[in-house]
Amino acid sequence: MSATSHAHHDEAGQAPLVGSLGVDSRKLGLWAFIGSETLFFTALITTHLIFYARTKAELTASGMLAHLDPKHFLGINLTSVLAAILLASSLTMVLALAASKAKEWQKFRFWLLATIILGSSFVLGQAYEFSHLYAEGLKLAPQFVYEGETVKSLFGVTFFTMTGFHGLHVTLGVIWLIAVYFKVRKFPASPENPMDVELVGLYWHFVDLVWVGIFTLIYLI
Amino acid sequence: MAIAEHKLTSVSPATASSGSFPWRTWLATVDHKKIGIIYIVSAFVFFMLGGIEAMLMRVQLGAPNNTFLSADVYNQLFTMHATTMIFLMVMPMNVGIGNYVVPLMIGARDMAFPRLNAMSIWLFLGGGLLLYMSFLTGGAPNGGWFAYAPLTQVQYSPTSGMDYWILGLGLTGIASIAGALNFIVTVLNMRAPGMSINRMPLFVWMNLVVSFIIIFAFPTFTVGSIELLFDRQFGGAFFNPAQGGDAMLWQHLFWFFGHPEVYILILPVMGMISEILPVFSRKPIFGYSFVAFSGVGIGFLGFIVWAHHMFGVGMGPMANAFFAAASMVIAIPTGVKIFNWIATMWAGDVRLTTAMLYAIGFISMFIIGGISGITLASPPIDLQQTDSYYVVAHLHYVLFGGSILGLFAGAYYWFPKMTGRMLNERIGKIQFWIMLISFNVTFFPMHIVGTEGMPRRIYTYEAGMGWDLWNFIETVGTFFLAFSILIFIYNVLSSLRNGEVASNDPWDAATLEWTMPSPPPSYNFLHIPIVNSRRPLWDAKYPHAAGDDHHGASSAPSQVRYEYTDEETAGAKDIHMPSLTFSPMILSGGLTIAALGFVYINKDILGLPTRVAALGFILIGIVMVAIAIRGWIVDSRKDSPYLGQHH
Amino acid sequence: MRKEARKSTVPLVVLLLSCAAMLSGCTNLPATTLFTYGDHATRILDLLMPVFWMAVGVFVVVQGALVYTVIRFRSKQANAPVPAQIHGNTNIEIMWTIAPAIILLVIAVMTFRTQAANSYQPPEAMKIRAIGHQWWFEFQYDDGTIVTANDLYIPVGQSVQIQLEAADVMHNFWIPKLAGKTYMIPGKTNYLAFKATEAGIFRGFCAEFCGESHGNMHFRVIALDAADFAKWKTNFATTPAAANGTAQVLGLTGDAARGAAIFADAKKQCSSCHIISGTVAKGKIGPNLTYFGNRRTIAAGMLPYSTDNMAKWLQDPTSIKPGNLMGRVIKKGTLKDQEIADLVAYLDGMKFAVNMPAEK
Repeated sequence: MSATSHAHHDEAGQAPLVGSLGVDSRKLGLWAFIGSETLFFTALITTHLIFYARTKAELTASGMLAHLDPKHFLGINLTSVLAAILLASSLTMVLALAASKAKEWQKFRFWLLATIILGSSFVLGQAYEFSHLYAEGLKLAPQFVYEGETVKSLFGVTFFTMTGFHGLHVTLGVIWLIAVYFKVRKFPASPENPMDVELVGLYWHFVDLVWVGIFTLIYLI
Repeated sequence: MAIAEHKLTSVSPATASSGSFPWRTWLATVDHKKIGIIYIVSAFVFFMLGGIEAMLMRVQLGAPNNTFLSADVYNQLFTMHATTMIFLMVMPMNVGIGNYVVPLMIGARDMAFPRLNAMSIWLFLGGGLLLYMSFLTGGAPNGGWFAYAPLTQVQYSPTSGMDYWILGLGLTGIASIAGALNFIVTVLNMRAPGMSINRMPLFVWMNLVVSFIIIFAFPTFTVGSIELLFDRQFGGAFFNPAQGGDAMLWQHLFWFFGHPEVYILILPVMGMISEILPVFSRKPIFGYSFVAFSGVGIGFLGFIVWAHHMFGVGMGPMANAFFAAASMVIAIPTGVKIFNWIATMWAGDVRLTTAMLYAIGFISMFIIGGISGITLASPPIDLQQTDSYYVVAHLHYVLFGGSILGLFAGAYYWFPKMTGRMLNERIGKIQFWIMLISFNVTFFPMHIVGTEGMPRRIYTYEAGMGWDLWNFIETVGTFFLAFSILIFIYNVLSSLRNGEVASNDPWDAATLEWTMPSPPPSYNFLHIPIVNSRRPLWDAKYPHAAGDDHHGASSAPSQVRYEYTDEETAGAKDIHMPSLTFSPMILSGGLTIAALGFVYINKDILGLPTRVAALGFILIGIVMVAIAIRGWIVDSRKDSPYLGQHH
Repeated sequence: MRKEARKSTVPLVVLLLSCAAMLSGCTNLPATTLFTYGDHATRILDLLMPVFWMAVGVFVVVQGALVYTVIRFRSKQANAPVPAQIHGNTNIEIMWTIAPAIILLVIAVMTFRTQAANSYQPPEAMKIRAIGHQWWFEFQYDDGTIVTANDLYIPVGQSVQIQLEAADVMHNFWIPKLAGKTYMIPGKTNYLAFKATEAGIFRGFCAEFCGESHGNMHFRVIALDAADFAKWKTNFATTPAAANGTAQVLGLTGDAARGAAIFADAKKQCSSCHIISGTVAKGKIGPNLTYFGNRRTIAAGMLPYSTDNMAKWLQDPTSIKPGNLMGRVIKKGTLKDQEIADLVAYLDGMKFAVNMPAEK
């Protein structure tokens, strides 16, 4: 979504980025994109919930739910830390945006760097969680092994697909953050900077929000 | 009322072929008009490929127990025919015409995101080429365009065909979503002063509605096909009941996208019809708001009718009743449009140009397709008609009789604007009648053989079922249909060279694109027009006949100009348009190469070398994408007024 | 002159074609949905007919209005004055929104009534399990004690409830003259209840695309009078008698006893895929071949039943049904002609008399 249009500005030099709705074009586009992405994650999360409900019903029928519930794999401590990291990164993002609007570039760089570091830690944390789950027996396969017992279930497949695509979105967000960081450093005087920061911030908050959804629906409930 | 023929120094695509073809200005273009033309030309090429596939199938079915095609080849052909016509023909043709016309209609100089627009076209082409590559690499997709699970699992479809299908359509899907976002922002944010939402041309309206449908419908398809790819390549079992998956989940994900897709195919064409009918009746559209809001209504309702494709799968009578009721409700806004179109012509001065004939043909055929759809919305009747040739008849009346006849109307209507030449009207009318008649000869008998129990997607049938004669007639009709397409190609080629030169406004039309020279200069409008009615050009031409056409208080007097002095035109060189850039193309190329790698990433075809090569493709693709993004950023800085490199 | 000739031939062709259309509507073709012999299909037809006439009415009115408008308001002169600029009329538009709504409401009410009747599963219905395979149908009676394939025997006048399942991919179970379609879905069980009202042999198809030989997946429904059906079931439940007799095929004399030995020979692999009750053949991959001599067709409706066609199948199954599993084992030349003749004699000899009704 890094496309910028300046095609519309008149030779009269009217404000180029604000169109007939009075909104920045890129912001409008990004909002529509977020609408689309919402459906994307809804479908992934729904798939996971459907198959988890099925596994649960099967385990309940065989009286093994308490023992073999695949949720036992999900370490709540690590993911709570990850959720906290991501939520904190939303806060630093807000502070970075405020600093960019106030043109306090020193502060801005600090908060944006903090966001980048927090975002990267989340990705690394997730990579660690994935390798840990693999070692424990939850794999990208239609069965998992828990305490020596093999259970036919799509839990691993749906879980890794869903969280993997979320992780991919976070990774792209980090790359975008880094790009904005360098752009602002190179062109500190550009009046577009606050909008550039606002856009990446919007995307970042969305990705955070998706994690809040996944964390609540998959880990907590 | 003299409409001055104005010469502007623009390169006409039609005349540019003198001398060497300016490849650079096309391949690196970000001009919505050139991108539109690339869309249209490539969609037409795919149209012919899809048509050839259809003809091969019709030859096979022309006689019982025919052995012209093997079962497997037939299955590949019907899969690719549908995939091509839906994703590589009608959708991109709509996008192409929209790309060309929408910015002109709303008084904009380009789309909101010109480079993203360029990425969409190359990504679409990459996806299309990837799909067609499958014919040369061990077999095209053969699981049907609906790709029902679990037939598309790797044990039942072991060739790479379905992998090509998933990744090829994945690429065109990204192109569609990017294009839709572009349309949404363009329409909402790039309108000329005074072009309020309720003054937008109906074609613009329908493009806006369709863009919203695309961004909300495509994600479930993307998720479904990602999950299918995981099933086939990475050890998933989402849709494999033998391993705990669910075959019905695929159908829900697919049709949640698949039914809105039908409206993605038809609504822009309805928008075209809503432009063409008023112009050639010399009247405004009857009931602008009804037509616009019925489009919005169809867009919304389109999302709650998906399971009427699944009445036979045992969802239970309550669910069937709900989806049946919703499907019947959606017929109402559709019917309203037809009545409004007829009323638009009523008491008009109906000029039967080729474009108008096609528009009327569209309505006429769409009536049949709409009526035959009613029985399919009734679950009990549907259980006899679904998966039979009756459905094949119905969908072709809607998609060929509807979308494609409407697209021909649009082609004859806007060809002069796009090329600066008129298409030959006499040849056009001959083509229209041949196409209309042969279309009915081809597809009407399918209602009958369907009712006589002929299932669809069968590669052959036995003699003596009462289907032989009708199938033979259908096959004969196909050849005439193909002949009419050849006439069209001849008309286009000869008109490009010798056709009558088109004036700014050859049809006495009403909307802004006809205020410009044909073809328009790269910057479109010398001065951005100021609009204060729904028909800015018409009202400028017929100030006393305008009637009550001013919706909302006009903020400023209308400033719609279609004549410019030479001094003014000379000032055009100061209009800054985005620079040429190859980055969108490199990015799309990178994604296509990476997608090709994903087709083979987990295939045991030649063992390790295949996987290494596949991994290599993915890496090359990622590197290309990275290079392209960097280039994209650098190129976009050239056009920024703030980043120092602007001159 | 030529123009006149053209003018008179066009309506003639149209007339001929409409006659042909009418005729085929009024002809009792093998798979037509317009001549029904089962309650499920009849109720659908009874719903379709009024809807069809309503549709014809709507078609005539709307298409007529379109054509009339175009003809009446066609531009007659090049410089016609600009017509009155009418932008719409809310009352008229509300009216033509309500009119189709009323028609649709009527159709919806009729639809729901038929749907309620057709989805009812009578508890007294005879239960038959039908399983779709790539590319044939398996039928089980009495909890699997009687298993046959591609010929579905049912009693006339008694409701049957078909329990629909699939072994591999999705299939769709369709008997145009008896009942509408219901999907056979792996991992899901569907039910279809219907009642044949007349004895007869009816065509059935798989209607959902199910892979390479989808077009070759047919079956027959044989509706017998209650007494005949009971007799069929009793006969089928008894073990076939020891093989004896001969058959003339491929210019050779096949011997049933030799055929039985070939069939039972593990090296020939027949028995690893097929069941014949009372023998060592217990394979469950292919269709159950018990009383194969009673079949109406060979290879799920592909060929009419005859000893010659049976030999043709055994020579090269793939040429008749591309992609089928048996073709992976039996290729051209796998079986010698004499072996084929023996197998034909064996399978053809395994039959009992059934009071066969006519094809309908």
